[in-house]
Amino acid sequence: MAASTEHDEQADAPPPSDAAPAPAPVRARRPRGPLAAAVSVFGELLITAGVVLGLFVVYSLWWTNVLADREAAKQGDDVRHGWAQEKKPGAAPRTYDSEDGIGFLHVPAMDTGEVLVKKGTSTSSLNDGIAGYYTEPVKSALPWDEKGNFTLAAHRDGHGARFHNIHKLKTGDPVVFETRDTWYIYKVFKELPKTSKYNVDVLQPVPKESGKKKAGRYLTLTTCTPIYTSDYRYIVWAELERTEKVDKNRTPPPELR
Amino acid sequence: MYGWIWRHLPGNVWLRAAISLLLALAVVYVLFQYVFPWAEPLLPFNDVTVDGEGAAG
Repeated sequence: MAASTEHDEQADAPPPSDAAPAPAPVRARRPRGPLAAAVSVFGELLITAGVVLGLFVVYSLWWTNVLADREAAKQGDDVRHGWAQEKKPGAAPRTYDSEDGIGFLHVPAMDTGEVLVKKGTSTSSLNDGIAGYYTEPVKSALPWDEKGNFTLAAHRDGHGARFHNIHKLKTGDPVVFETRDTWYIYKVFKELPKTSKYNVDVLQPVPKESGKKKAGRYLTLTTCTPIYTSDYRYIVWAELERTEKVDKNRTPPPELR
Repeated sequence: MYGWIWRHLPGNVWLRAAISLLLALAVVYVLFQYVFPWAEPLLPFNDVTVDGEGAAG
């Protein structure tokens, strides 16, 4: 083994001086000009850059989903476990802790299963594969509020891609929000496929662009568009249709069956 | 560049190939674990909120 190693090293080392009598092959291989060497290194750097960019795409569209799905499943389990604990007799009355998720969003048309909803739309929390409700620039109402706009954001691609299929949501489709005790059933009434990211008016308690004039119980979904970029924002508005009490078996409302 | 690394790896061809593979995997690990998470928020691909800053999301 050692002998073969030495042999290999010698084979790859610069030709020893005894190779001088045979100059032709030596000239063909060895004395590379500084220009040729520079071009060669430059080419290798270009190839490397291409590979790194390719890996970044893999990271963005696949690996972040793996991490986010794992994290979201864990946090969702925690919330459901918490609910089950509170259901037991003698448990303290429900208080909404801002650290916890407040419930789950179900959008059959998007086909992404249940999406945990938590407070805030910071990058770090949305990256956990959840949807966040806005605290700024316009504070979101919550589903159980008398009036207001429940405004949510989630990723279109990567990090769970919870709102990836937002374009499949059409007027009349149900959007269901599940809390410990109540199903809130919303119906989509307006899509805004493209708007500026500066258009914070879509989050107003009465979003004028949706055509609504009076205060009501609205739901707003926001994410980026077109797919894979974030030049614009995609908005979907829904309005509360009815609520249903959660029964003992957590039977989902007909919209989810 | 890569030729230089190859010439400076010890062992025969198979050992060098194995070491090269390990080096490549180490690079991918560092990229996925540290470099990409750092770079991602700096790139404008995944801002989902309407806040006018493009910061969150």
